[in-house]
Amino acid sequence: MKAILFIAQKDLRLLLRDKGEVFFTFFFPVLLAIFFGFVFGGEGESSKIDLALVVESDSVLAAGMARDLEADESFQVTRFPSRDAGIHSVRVGKSTAVVILPAAMQDGLGGLFSGDGIPIDAVVDPAHRAEAGLIQGKLNELAFRQFPKLLGDSTQSAKLFSSARTKLAEAKNLTPANRLAATGLIAAGEMFTKSLSTSERNTQADNSTAQQADSASSEESAWSPIAITMTELPPRTGRPRSSFDITVPQGAVWGLAGCISAFATAIVVERARGTLDRLRLAPITRMQMLAGKGIACFVTAMSVQALLIAMAVICFASSIAQPFMLMISCVASAFAFSGIAMMVAGLCRTEAQANGAGRGVILLLAMIGGGTIPVFLMPPFLKTMSFASPFRWAVTAMEGPFWRDTSLNEQLTPLLVLCVIGVAGFLIGTRAMGRSALRK
Amino acid sequence: MHRREEYYSRFMLVLRDLHKCFGSIVAVADLTLEVNTGEVFGLLGPNGAGKSTTIAMITGLLTPDSGTVDVLGLGSPTSAAVRMHLGLAPQEITLYADLTARENLLFYARLYGVVNARARVEELLALVELEARGNDRLATYSGGMKRRLNFAAALVHDPKLLLLDEPTAGVDPQSRNRILDLVRQLASEGKTIIYTTHYMEEAAKICDRVGIVDGGRMLDVGTVAQLVTRHGGQSSVAIERAGVQTRVLTNDPVAEVTRQFAIGGVTSVRVEEPDLEGVFLALTGRSLRE
Repeated sequence: MKAILFIAQKDLRLLLRDKGEVFFTFFFPVLLAIFFGFVFGGEGESSKIDLALVVESDSVLAAGMARDLEADESFQVTRFPSRDAGIHSVRVGKSTAVVILPAAMQDGLGGLFSGDGIPIDAVVDPAHRAEAGLIQGKLNELAFRQFPKLLGDSTQSAKLFSSARTKLAEAKNLTPANRLAATGLIAAGEMFTKSLSTSERNTQADNSTAQQADSASSEESAWSPIAITMTELPPRTGRPRSSFDITVPQGAVWGLAGCISAFATAIVVERARGTLDRLRLAPITRMQMLAGKGIACFVTAMSVQALLIAMAVICFASSIAQPFMLMISCVASAFAFSGIAMMVAGLCRTEAQANGAGRGVILLLAMIGGGTIPVFLMPPFLKTMSFASPFRWAVTAMEGPFWRDTSLNEQLTPLLVLCVIGVAGFLIGTRAMGRSALRK
Repeated sequence: MHRREEYYSRFMLVLRDLHKCFGSIVAVADLTLEVNTGEVFGLLGPNGAGKSTTIAMITGLLTPDSGTVDVLGLGSPTSAAVRMHLGLAPQEITLYADLTARENLLFYARLYGVVNARARVEELLALVELEARGNDRLATYSGGMKRRLNFAAALVHDPKLLLLDEPTAGVDPQSRNRILDLVRQLASEGKTIIYTTHYMEEAAKICDRVGIVDGGRMLDVGTVAQLVTRHGGQSSVAIERAGVQTRVLTNDPVAEVTRQFAIGGVTSVRVEEPDLEGVFLALTGRSLRE
């Protein structure tokens, strides 16, 4: 065992003394993660917000709001048949928030002037608090837009004002000032609807709405035209909290690729320069020799993953959904890629092969495995192809406990695949190295 | 059992019918050799003669196609226990350029489980006169210094059989002399050394016995004197009279010189004794340096 550790220590020391390898193994992945994190973060802000919509109310107001939401350029709206389905779409990361126009919306219209407001429910992903503010503002705006339409309908408006007077009379928590203001507003509203012709109404109502919105927002009174109940899902939502949640596993891919390249090349160089022969002459077995090199590769792979995760947590406020499972995933990835390094080292005969073909294949696998484009953004054919890349499994294994909050069953598949890759890599590498030694 | 022990106390290394081909090229052909314990045995031959292949089979780095290698009567060097007794300084510098001399030696010392490895490393650095540069990376060393450290790495575990594969190839005269001194010193301490070279003067200087190798075959084995006697041919006496030089081949140069002086008129005389070059020429039909 000591011999294995001495070999590992020596290989790590050699790695750390090679500035180029240190850069490409440790710093390049970190820089990539940061760079793409900011790039993806920027794109997210400018794109449409995925909004789930559940319409429980059959009111005119709800129908109008739903229509306007769907027509709004800020949103990509998907309708869901039930509240649970809408919330699920947020939970699985398909939607930023779900807006629910509840059955009580029709009744609530009557409470518009009683201080209760029109009830609207919204459930947001806590990772998108910034978007939540925008959604709230938009809902207010769209609600105001509905009023002229409602007020233009004499039957509806008569019902509205009658209901409003009843609600106002029943309301007990209003201050005398607010009660007086609301009474005046109802009276003004009644006069307003009567005096406007249908053609003028639409035009003027928009201005009126804007003014009302402005005054509503500027006043600090308790009165508000709609009552949005905004709730957040629990933090572990299976949705990246920031673009760095996605780019850190991507960075890890490049870190692991760097490990493979560095160690596979180092072993090939050892063979070409004869130092491997001196190792083979020592009283250790071939397995011990490979284990020593494997441990060095493993330690490096673990270090680069730890560095990236630490950076995400400390610098970019990422939180880890399942820390213990994430550690297991990192171990599995480090094991798998140490095995691959041994395999590449065994199969490449010369430094040129290791530097050229070896790195080329690794680069390709890293790219189709999610190193450049995140897997979820890949076109379907590339997504299917990505399963052939061990990097894809490493990303999946890391994302699961990092931010997807996957179940143990879901996590088992990538972990098992990585373990199989590791074992196969070590076996092929050992066999190939044995053959190359005999062929020498 | 007693006879076997006696046999192996006499021979450090026994090769029997060792054969190795690389495709259609015969690298070593039916090599049989017994190397005495404590002797410096020279494998003399041109590049490509099969010397390094023989060394690789002795150390277990190459598996022979046929034949056996027996070290110390313990058997094949494929066993780690046997390899513990072997020290190899290969023709290439098989050390890590990005490690210092101390780190290189310490790594190998620990790998071999050397007790008090640090002290052993200092001892070896002193032996090869590199203590002052011990903390410098190998990459900064001259060719000769690298050779000396390569040599030291072979000694790190104090092996009984030391295999030196062209240890002076491409080094400056100072380092070459230091290496030859070291070989003599180690031989005097009782180490068995196999020394491959294509420099006949080195072989003549330090080897107790020499094997002439060419085309993968061991052409003859013996002391330098024995080989010269068997294959060196006659001594050459060059006589000059009135500016005219004549050359006489003889088995008794002293008698020939006496005879020439008796004739008279000799202005100069030079005797050329046969050497390993002559031996090689006689055995292979070509010069060692061709």
